Amino acid sequence: MWEHRCKVAVSGVGFSRVTRSAEVPLAAHALEAVQGAVADSGLAVSDIDGLATYPELPATGHAVVDGITIVSVNCMMAMLKLSNLSWHVQVETVNIGGAVQQAVNALLAGVCRYAVVWRAMHNPKGTYQNLPGTYAQGPSQFTAPYGFGGPGQGMAVAYTRWLERHGQDREKMATLAVTQRRHSHKNPHAYFCGQPLTREDYLNSRMVAYPFCLYDCDIPVQGAVAIVLTTADRARDLRPRPAYIAGYGQRLAFEVAGRIGSLSSYMEGGRSSSRLTWERSGLSPKDVDVAQIYDGFSASVIYGLESYGFCKEGEALDFIQEGRMELDGELPLNTFGGSLSTGRIHGLWHIIEGALQASGRAGERQVEDVNVSFVGASAPIVQGTTFIFVKEPY
Amino acid sequence: MTSLPRANILARVPEPRTGPDVTAMSDWSRVTRPIPVPNEWTKPFWEAAKRGVLALQRCQACKHFQHPPYATCVRCMATDLAFEPVSGAGTIYAYTIMYHAGDKRFAAAIPYASIIVEPDDAPGALLAANLLEAPYTEAKVGRRVEVVFQPLNDDFTLPQFRLARDTR
Ligand SMILES: [Zn+2]
Repeated sequence: MWEHRCKVAVSGVGFSRVTRSAEVPLAAHALEAVQGAVADSGLAVSDIDGLATYPELPATGHAVVDGITIVSVNCMMAMLKLSNLSWHVQVETVNIGGAVQQAVNALLAGVCRYAVVWRAMHNPKGTYQNLPGTYAQGPSQFTAPYGFGGPGQGMAVAYTRWLERHGQDREKMATLAVTQRRHSHKNPHAYFCGQPLTREDYLNSRMVAYPFCLYDCDIPVQGAVAIVLTTADRARDLRPRPAYIAGYGQRLAFEVAGRIGSLSSYMEGGRSSSRLTWERSGLSPKDVDVAQIYDGFSASVIYGLESYGFCKEGEALDFIQEGRMELDGELPLNTFGGSLSTGRIHGLWHIIEGALQASGRAGERQVEDVNVSFVGASAPIVQGTTFIFVKEPY
Repeated sequence: MTSLPRANILARVPEPRTGPDVTAMSDWSRVTRPIPVPNEWTKPFWEAAKRGVLALQRCQACKHFQHPPYATCVRCMATDLAFEPVSGAGTIYAYTIMYHAGDKRFAAAIPYASIIVEPDDAPGALLAANLLEAPYTEAKVGRRVEVVFQPLNDDFTLPQFRLARDTR
């Protein structure tokens, strides 16, 4: 077990307003989320001395303009003017979960006391993906000439392999989309809060990239979320009940750029990340009371459930049936509605919900008697990270 | 474990009953494809394709084939890599059918099958392609396919795939 388990905690969470596309510069969303997380902790902005983010803009072909389409650490430094700032980082290889892990490490190293991590996501007006022009450079030379464009298609190919290898049926995925949407009605920050989705809506929706229909894809939005992390002893002095980080991991397998469609790589990525998390925490899937598993595209949940060890390969779509993912089910899953309901803000939302469930602060959607709360914060192969939050340190 | 009633997953797509269903043929005639830009690692692939040969990068130390090309052998880390021809026979490892034109230049072909092919001679090397000369509904994991060469312009030829002769 990890000697540093339960020594760092999430002590505050914050949310910005969410709009379908950009109406105000993204920096305003990021600032709102960060200020919200600091206020939730009962701290003042001037107490913050550590900053971390993953600022990537997933909408391809759009200009990267700091403060408008991304919010970098530099941008946040300029806005907050933190007199006590002592540490900051911006990560690239492991998405927002990696920024959270770096903040954990910095707190354990004692180089900052209160770190804030934010994820701000831009949705440009008009076309989301502007694909390569006349020429296909780099890894895309082997994919773009064949009409592969956008991440949905790259994930869809692994999904057909999973479906046909295991003799499975994509209609079972309706349960995930419908249940998550129902969960989101108890999450006022979710983009689709209050908008019903039925099984029939799912089954009749238009196909985007078979096997993905419209409701298998998260909706691009403009918005931001943030958390405050601090050491466990400091967290206990703050207003909210802490969510202790009992372990974390990151994917140790990676594909050569441009190789697509490999289902086995998703599985290897997820297994490697979760193995670290189980070993560090000393826990196993059967100890988990509630799980948040990244669902930017619905099939990511399959790869997560299977590679993290919650069910056997080929069984994930059966596993989520029979009420098992409901708030009172065997494994309540994506209890905030998932990205499919909040809109595309990446895995920091999953981390926030994991922390809220562990600390008993999830409000109407709180699962009863949670001690162990699991998070898979990105698609396992792409930039996968995993976390375990607990209510009671051990 | 529960077992829900199985339904036709492509309910709104006509299934071919006898012979190819022309309504499920993608129209590639009005598609302008992006043109590949070879680099130091990928040039031999495109040069071979232009000659009508499917050649993949092979580690000269452990004989492992890999695609896309890379700086080192992803199996043994050797740097002695060379392109060698493969037979062009393979299976569909995975596929997707595109109903939404992510790339607008492909709008005329929708719906179309983008497939991932694993060549017999190069297990683990995964090539993107389109399924040509068949309705897109014929794309299935495990189907046998063979390479065909589709000229893009005077300089470039795309390796593509069609159903293998004995399965057509
Ligand atoms: Zn080798």
